[in-house]
Amino acid sequence: MSTPQLDDLDRQLIDILSRDARVSNRKIAADLGVTEGTVRGRIKRLQQDRLIAFTAITGFSLSNHAQLAFIGVQAEVGKVRQVAREIAELPLITSVMITMGQFNILAISVFDELENLVEQASDRILSIDGVHHVETSIAVKTLKYNPRVVRITSDYAGDFA
Amino acid sequence: MKSDFVVDDIDRSIVEQLRLNGRATNQQIADKLGLTATTVSSRIRRMEDANQLRVVAVSDFSAHGYNVLMEVSIEVDGRAASEVAEELARFPEVFAAHVVTGRYDIDMLVVLHDFEELPSLLLDKFSKVRGIRSMLPTIAVDVIKYKFDVAPIEDREPA
Repeated sequence: MSTPQLDDLDRQLIDILSRDARVSNRKIAADLGVTEGTVRGRIKRLQQDRLIAFTAITGFSLSNHAQLAFIGVQAEVGKVRQVAREIAELPLITSVMITMGQFNILAISVFDELENLVEQASDRILSIDGVHHVETSIAVKTLKYNPRVVRITSDYAGDFA
Repeated sequence: MKSDFVVDDIDRSIVEQLRLNGRATNQQIADKLGLTATTVSSRIRRMEDANQLRVVAVSDFSAHGYNVLMEVSIEVDGRAASEVAEELARFPEVFAAHVVTGRYDIDMLVVLHDFEELPSLLLDKFSKVRGIRSMLPTIAVDVIKYKFDVAPIEDREPA
């Protein structure tokens, strides 16, 4: 992961668009004192370099899924990548990372009912070949959450359905 | 607040279009769904005002120079976990902080530019927070999936 070269204009664009992506190029150009063509070109480059992505973030009442759970997984080291990919395919799983520490995979689930979390996430992860141990903890109170800065993975496009 | 907000199929179809392209104009969305641009505009505003929708650019950690991503689990002793979490959440390096069930009491996402920032974060910042019994770090080495379109939504900051 190298640090990309971003200048002040890129950072100003990211700042404006992270608050509201529906501002027109014309308005951004006028606010920043550059041409519309510059704004359009910069946005395109930032998107192509996967530094920004445009999306609609919905609150929990629009998604029907109100709760967050963290699932730590201990998997056989030689199978960790394959296991992580299989976990990523499960329906309630929103994030999967390969990690170093007590667990070698961390999965995040956004779920509606406890029963579904257990049946569709925890139990199914445990049944994947190479998984030894699964530990689930549920967020009961969220003090902070920054949804604007994320990891934009290569497969993000079309992953929103 | 979240329980009495009702969405219908039209709202959902608009959101679906925005997920595909957050920068689509009201007119483009209206044409696709057989609605008027005014309807699209007022539906979007209604969901935004209820803090149920934000159409935004999300940016990658690397766009901000963040190269280290860690989950830190915390065991709390002698103090309410939510108090400890609230205090920890004030540090800019803490991107997310949750009180959780299970073996540990708090789960945090910590983001750093590089590992050199770790000593001062631990020794000058976290060490000042009362009630931390132990900290267990888990370092992310590869992110396989990271969905970012569902989240608790905060009130809109004043422009």
